[in-house]
Amino acid sequence: MLRKASSFPEEMLEHVLSFITSDKDRNAVSLVCKSWYEIERWCRKRIFVGNCYAVRPEMVIRRFPELRSVELKGKPHFADFDLVPDGWGGCVYPWIAALATAYPLLEEIKLKRMVVSDESLEVIAKSFKNFKVLVLSSCEGFSTDGLAAVAANCRNLRGLDLRESEVDDPSGQWLSRFPDSFTSLASLNISCLGAEVSFSALERLVGRCPDLKSLRLNHAVPLDKLANLLRGAPQLVELGTGAYSAELQPDVFSNLAGAFSGCKELRSLSGFWNVFPGYLPAVYPVCSGLTSLNLRDANIQGADLIKLVSQCRSLQRLWVLDYIEDIGLEELAACCKDLTELRVFPSDPYGAEPNVSLTERGLVSVSEGCPKLQSVLYFCRQMTNAALVTIAKNSPRMTCFRLCIIEPRAPDYQTLQPLDLGFGAIVENYKDLRRLSLSGLLTDRVFEYIGTYAKKLEMLSVAFAGDSDMGLHHVLSGCAKLCKLEIRDCPFGDNALLANAAKLETMRSLWMSSCSVSFRACKLLGQKMPRLNVEVIDERGPPDLRPENCPVEKLYIYRTIAGPRFDMPGFVWTMNGDSV
Amino acid sequence: MSEVDMAVIKPEMMKSYIWIQTSDGAIQQVEQEVAMFCPMICQEVIHKGMGSSKNCAVSLPQRVSPAMFSLILDYCRFHQVPGRSNKERKSFDEKFVRMDTKRLCELTSAADSLQLKPLVDLTSRALARIIEGKTPEEIREIFHLPDDLTEEEKLEPLKNTTDDPRIRLLNRLYAKKRKELKEREKLKDVEAEEDHVDDRSVDDLLSFINGGEDSKGIKTSKNKKKHRKRKDLQKCAPSNEAIETHKKESNTVSSLCHNVGVDQKLKSSLGETLKLQDAADEVFAPTVEFDDVDIDDEIDPALKEEIDREVEDFARILNSDWPERMQELLSLGQERRPTHLSVNGNGALKGHGSMPSFPL
Repeated sequence: MLRKASSFPEEMLEHVLSFITSDKDRNAVSLVCKSWYEIERWCRKRIFVGNCYAVRPEMVIRRFPELRSVELKGKPHFADFDLVPDGWGGCVYPWIAALATAYPLLEEIKLKRMVVSDESLEVIAKSFKNFKVLVLSSCEGFSTDGLAAVAANCRNLRGLDLRESEVDDPSGQWLSRFPDSFTSLASLNISCLGAEVSFSALERLVGRCPDLKSLRLNHAVPLDKLANLLRGAPQLVELGTGAYSAELQPDVFSNLAGAFSGCKELRSLSGFWNVFPGYLPAVYPVCSGLTSLNLRDANIQGADLIKLVSQCRSLQRLWVLDYIEDIGLEELAACCKDLTELRVFPSDPYGAEPNVSLTERGLVSVSEGCPKLQSVLYFCRQMTNAALVTIAKNSPRMTCFRLCIIEPRAPDYQTLQPLDLGFGAIVENYKDLRRLSLSGLLTDRVFEYIGTYAKKLEMLSVAFAGDSDMGLHHVLSGCAKLCKLEIRDCPFGDNALLANAAKLETMRSLWMSSCSVSFRACKLLGQKMPRLNVEVIDERGPPDLRPENCPVEKLYIYRTIAGPRFDMPGFVWTMNGDSV
Repeated sequence: MSEVDMAVIKPEMMKSYIWIQTSDGAIQQVEQEVAMFCPMICQEVIHKGMGSSKNCAVSLPQRVSPAMFSLILDYCRFHQVPGRSNKERKSFDEKFVRMDTKRLCELTSAADSLQLKPLVDLTSRALARIIEGKTPEEIREIFHLPDDLTEEEKLEPLKNTTDDPRIRLLNRLYAKKRKELKEREKLKDVEAEEDHVDDRSVDDLLSFINGGEDSKGIKTSKNKKKHRKRKDLQKCAPSNEAIETHKKESNTVSSLCHNVGVDQKLKSSLGETLKLQDAADEVFAPTVEFDDVDIDDEIDPALKEEIDREVEDFARILNSDWPERMQELLSLGQERRPTHLSVNGNGALKGHGSMPSFPL
């Protein structure tokens, strides 16, 4: 067969690639052929490494000599629920040290669920002359000393975002380390900081940075000072307020309302800790322009909450506590037709009895009223198959659906049946579903549905579900695009895992805790699959002191070309070739 | 008639033309304002004085075929008119790039050689849109590109770990050590086989791995029993779990686990030793191919010293009588039936309210 000559003008590839920026597309381009691989790697500017142990920094550096932005993720997602013991890993220092030598022109570092030491921050601060953006999302291990180093040295810093990180706060003075000549800040998120920050330093900083568009304060910034800050930055697009409490004082209120009125560009609001309802009207002037509202930390309830939300007619994203109740969600569905993302968090998850009237009806209302709904995270205490089927039919654009029925294994409360059919309808109707979390009473049947229909599913979270290995087998053999699978407390064991061993190399990672995977299976898997790291995490002690068929406590399997890691703590064992 | 009169009556006669020779040798006249829109032609005319007559026609680069030149002229003819709105131009551009992929490729190349940046960007963006969202196979198919990346190249194999000089040294040491151990094994009497009962299930498992198609429908009653038992445990666990408020103290899991008679220190030291042993073994991954070539020259002396010291440490561990130590430790440790612990996450509530036992 005569092969056609390539039609693509290779001399133009680099220029064409300058318009292709998504990681997925760049990865696809690099796998087309040898010459494209070469051209692509020389002009790649951003890299995303979903698992810091999947590849070694030296490998990245060798392959991509011109990086300007590096994004890394460390611990598995279930670390958010304290299922990953402290000390497991995810230490970023080796990466930072390598990047510091290799990329003096590096501009951005974004880290998620990693352990970041002050030393790492100091290296970042001193190594990259043109450093612009630092994002530490759900990270830990550093203090404000590290932040002070960044503030003092990064002359061109544009963004510092500490979202949801744990920061040790020996001194609140680090903000003053930004020199007076420093004016480039565009984004600052310090909402996670526990202690006071120097307000005068903050005020001066905000006042001298004309490009500041995003400012998320921590709860220690009091209400009466907020107005001053706002007047110094009327160009703000995103604002996270500090604590919103205090007795209602008319002058503070009017000052605040006036300041908010001046912020004509404001599109996103968050914060509202300890909100005193009387102050809420101060934000009404900006409500009609808001596209994003995050009230997960706000204890506003009842009519106050509904009134606030219903004024935000342009809302696309809403994060709120279940104080909103079914009635508030009905109102939301009526007012906010552009809603794409809804997250409803539980105000009292451990209470034996429901403290609010939030049921499946609220979510049904929203699905009926908001046709653009794409992403849902919903905590509730009861659900029915019928409701799920309705929700499935109403929201064709859904890409992320996470339902969390608080009581494990709760059945359809009306029929007492498992929720297999409901979730089955979800996966059958949501053709573009990429992320799914299950809850409630579920048998192997639901996994059969998932394996059959969820062809674009990339991430699946499962707990207290299924009857047997068939459940796991359906998922692993059916979900072609599966990338991350996390499972806890399910009766899945060796058979499905070993039968689908090859599948694991096509995924980023698999987490299984409190399941029935034996130590022998782990060893076998580790032995047979050199491109997987099979980590047994067991705080009971070394697994080979117990019988081989004994289930391991936790299992974390991830594909890697870096080989086994050397930084494991005493309760983690990697199953590899010769250790079997 | 005056010159001006002539211009009014017959404006075409006063229009300037530029002589252009396309790659097929044909020579044509192109309106000046249209042709000069291309920087390359502009340069030839202004700096080299070409294009004023048939004899000194501007010669177009090879990448500009007559068909492409014609297209490019259409583009220039439209855009060189000053009065158009942005909306008009955008609309024209969108329609203009709608053509088959092959032509689009040619056009991109042609525009580039004429240095017509706006058209280069327009066509490049169009090509980018074609590439976006496609798999490598699809891209190859569309542009007739060869599939010449090997499996190894696609994955960057473990082989590359040998680039780290320390690992290479360690590999060599372990290779030697392994050899010695193997010799010793051959001389010794080998221990009796493992439990025959277990072998069968191992074979089954191996057949799964090796792609046994008939491995479906593995519902055993044994599994069901296990699950029911666990369910009962599960029912009790959540309600009995105490709610911890400090993250540091929240390892109720670990406190539940450690109610064994094994000495904490011993356990941790055992863990450490095992870990080191594991690490030592792991470094020597069987798929890695190490060369016997002397690589010591590539390492600087200070680093080499450090490596030598590390290598000695590892050697010491390897030399310890592992089987005997294991017996020692086993006799000290208590033999316990592992209870299946329901790990209900914890009760700790982080500031940002992430939830414990629930998958999100």
